[in-house]
Amino acid sequence: MSSSTQSQRTEALTIDAVAHCTEFAAAQARQAGFPGARVDEIELVVEEVVANICHYSYGDRLGNVELACRRIGGPALELIFIDGGRPFDMLTLPEPNLAVDIDQRGLGGVGVPMMRALVDQASYRRDGERNVLSLVFHSACRLGGSAQLA
Amino acid sequence: MESTIQTFANVVIVQVDGRIDHSTAPAFGSILLPHVEGCAGDQKKLLVDLSKVNYMSSAGLRVLMIAAKGCRNQAGKVVLAGLQPSVREVFKIGRFDMVLETYPTVRDALAAISPAAGAIYVDR
Repeated sequence: MSSSTQSQRTEALTIDAVAHCTEFAAAQARQAGFPGARVDEIELVVEEVVANICHYSYGDRLGNVELACRRIGGPALELIFIDGGRPFDMLTLPEPNLAVDIDQRGLGGVGVPMMRALVDQASYRRDGERNVLSLVFHSACRLGGSAQLA
Repeated sequence: MESTIQTFANVVIVQVDGRIDHSTAPAFGSILLPHVEGCAGDQKKLLVDLSKVNYMSSAGLRVLMIAAKGCRNQAGKVVLAGLQPSVREVFKIGRFDMVLETYPTVRDALAAISPAAGAIYVDR
């Protein structure tokens, strides 16, 4: 299995951080030969993850997010999000009940189901003062079928 | 983000062109949400044409939810038309198919919500 690692670090948790990370991840996926539809799926997830880090990990205060990308066999990409905010494991967020009337729904709540539907493998660890979230994406699209994250 | 606003009879059609993500969702909101005002009963209905949108993240869904709730609070109606396959899948994940009515085309939507508007609709 061959692997290579590239990483990028954003300067601040602004709206630019989300765009910066999605652009980086998309470029890596394209370079790895992923189809355009799968690149879009990866961008959807990266946007959710970075927005959640901004909100939950940093409480909407400024902070840094580092996004590293590692190409692994399959072909697949591992995206590793590292932040220095308070402990936050996105994988344990409860699944919202979206099967309710519009009056009972909040404005958000789509991020977690989106991640579970589009990611092939996920893990989280607290490493000292840092949150480390690893997401693995295989090159095959997950939408258009009934694939769900195990 | 480019947009086109057209009015046919009692229906305002908002068409947006491009990608709706974290950075463009505020612009999408600025285009769409002012048209929610006055959407009540048959007086005014809102139709969002998404046929030229091929990417929508949860930030875009949030804007649509605000519009849907706003119309609902006024006993009004907002519907969507022309969802591209990728956007339709995102809708399914977010169960937005339970929140908003969707139609394959603008013409189909008009036929369902306002035959009067459908009769005079001209596709640009």
